[in-house]
Amino acid sequence: MLNVENLDAHYGEFHVLKNVSISVGRGKVVVMLGPNGHGKSTLLKCICGLVPSKNGQINFLGEDISRLSSERIVNMGITYIAENRELFPHMTVLENLKLGAYAKSARPHEKANLNMVFDLFPRLKQRQKQLASTMSGGEARMLAIARGLMSNAQFLAIDEPSLGLQPNLRLEVFSIIKQINTAGKTVIVVEQNIPQITDLADKIYLLEEGAITFEGAKQDALSNEHLKEIFLGM
Amino acid sequence: MQFGMLEIIDVIISGLTNGSVYALMALGLTLVYGVSKAFNFAYGSFYSLGGYVAWLLLGLHIGLGYGAVLLLAIPFLLVFGYASERLLVAPLRRRSDWEIKVMMITLGLALLLDNGYAVIFGPRVKSLPPILEGSFVMGDVILAYQDVGIFLLSIFGMIAFGWLLKNTRIGMAVQAVAQNPAGAQIVGIPRDVIFAATFAISTVMAGIGGILLAQKYFISPAGGWDVLVKAWVITAFGGMGSIRGSLYAAFIVGMLEAVVAFFLGFSWVLFALFGVLLLTLAVRPQGLMGKWG
Repeated sequence: MLNVENLDAHYGEFHVLKNVSISVGRGKVVVMLGPNGHGKSTLLKCICGLVPSKNGQINFLGEDISRLSSERIVNMGITYIAENRELFPHMTVLENLKLGAYAKSARPHEKANLNMVFDLFPRLKQRQKQLASTMSGGEARMLAIARGLMSNAQFLAIDEPSLGLQPNLRLEVFSIIKQINTAGKTVIVVEQNIPQITDLADKIYLLEEGAITFEGAKQDALSNEHLKEIFLGM
Repeated sequence: MQFGMLEIIDVIISGLTNGSVYALMALGLTLVYGVSKAFNFAYGSFYSLGGYVAWLLLGLHIGLGYGAVLLLAIPFLLVFGYASERLLVAPLRRRSDWEIKVMMITLGLALLLDNGYAVIFGPRVKSLPPILEGSFVMGDVILAYQDVGIFLLSIFGMIAFGWLLKNTRIGMAVQAVAQNPAGAQIVGIPRDVIFAATFAISTVMAGIGGILLAQKYFISPAGGWDVLVKAWVITAFGGMGSIRGSLYAAFIVGMLEAVVAFFLGFSWVLFALFGVLLLTLAVRPQGLMGKWG
């Protein structure tokens, strides 16, 4: 569904992504691991048009989206779910969700998606009138994911969903991701090395210092000494 | 100086009337700043633009009343504001120090407009007929319908603005961009369009302010500067980016102006306003209700 080919990205002088190529098959879950600050978020943001990239190509359903605006990309069915959530603090849960369906491609499905989201996140349904700024870390993370789903995206780029969450909430988030995938969405997740998410993955990438150093299934990773160290010792 | 109930009532009426228009205009300035962090130096010239457009239309003597004037002026101001933002302000956003550059280009626009007014309309002040003739007399108290009309229209304008903000998709999008630009980008809100739309709405508010107050205080090519300064004082006093702060500040300034004008004369007004502003900022740098940053 999505192919990144030979992508570069810079933050000012700093060369963040070096000739990166990945591919994500339709309906799959791809997990991207790697040390912090090595480019994982940047890669997701490049895909979603939030950060500029150089050279290379980003092909989504056969079309090169690397030079498109983030609004166009959202309308094509790709949504970014930020590590920082980036919610609208002075709006209610419901208002945040409705804004999630702002894109033209999302509007016709707003009602259906709202029902879907409330089924998936009953706590959000209970707290619909609550202001986003008053939500706990876990609830805010759920709201961010829910708002991302409102865009009717077929491809979700989720950035460290478990960050800062207690273990039981982490499991809940991963279970949601599994449900989303089962419902047919393609997902790429940037995460720390946590078994519950790596077990879900159809494919794992390792991004170190802006370059892909591993691509494959989890079992393959475990038979590689360097990677085994990373996976078990990180 | 002798003053009694009558004078006090006059002062209050004046303060409320002017305060309501100032509130409408401060709202426009706060909106643009809150959403796009752009400071519009041409805001005063847009005020005058409204006044001049009204003067033109009413002066045609083809039976156009204020209703028609507003109906024609609003779309004109919307388009003018939208175009100004897209052509002049938007291209600067890509560059470094764009906030300063926006101030400079809007300053340039202001000078262009003001000189344009002088050339096209001449340097002498223009006045507009009152929107409503006659007054309400109760004993010795005279309340001009004009003042009531101005007050009600301003309040209506603010309520309409609030309604737009809360009940339309674009209004919610404007709030979203103001509250979290990154989040707005994530959900696919087109930032550039929102910035331009916000600027356009604020242009309308400035222009309507001109149409309303020009009846009482004349329009002149350089008259917008006074208004810009007051609008800026109100915004800073109330707290940049805080809507409620701007509203309170606008009425306080309106009242203060009326009181100072009565006791000391018009020439003291700006001095007094700046004095209060400086005092407030010294004690509370974020203004009455502003949030830092």
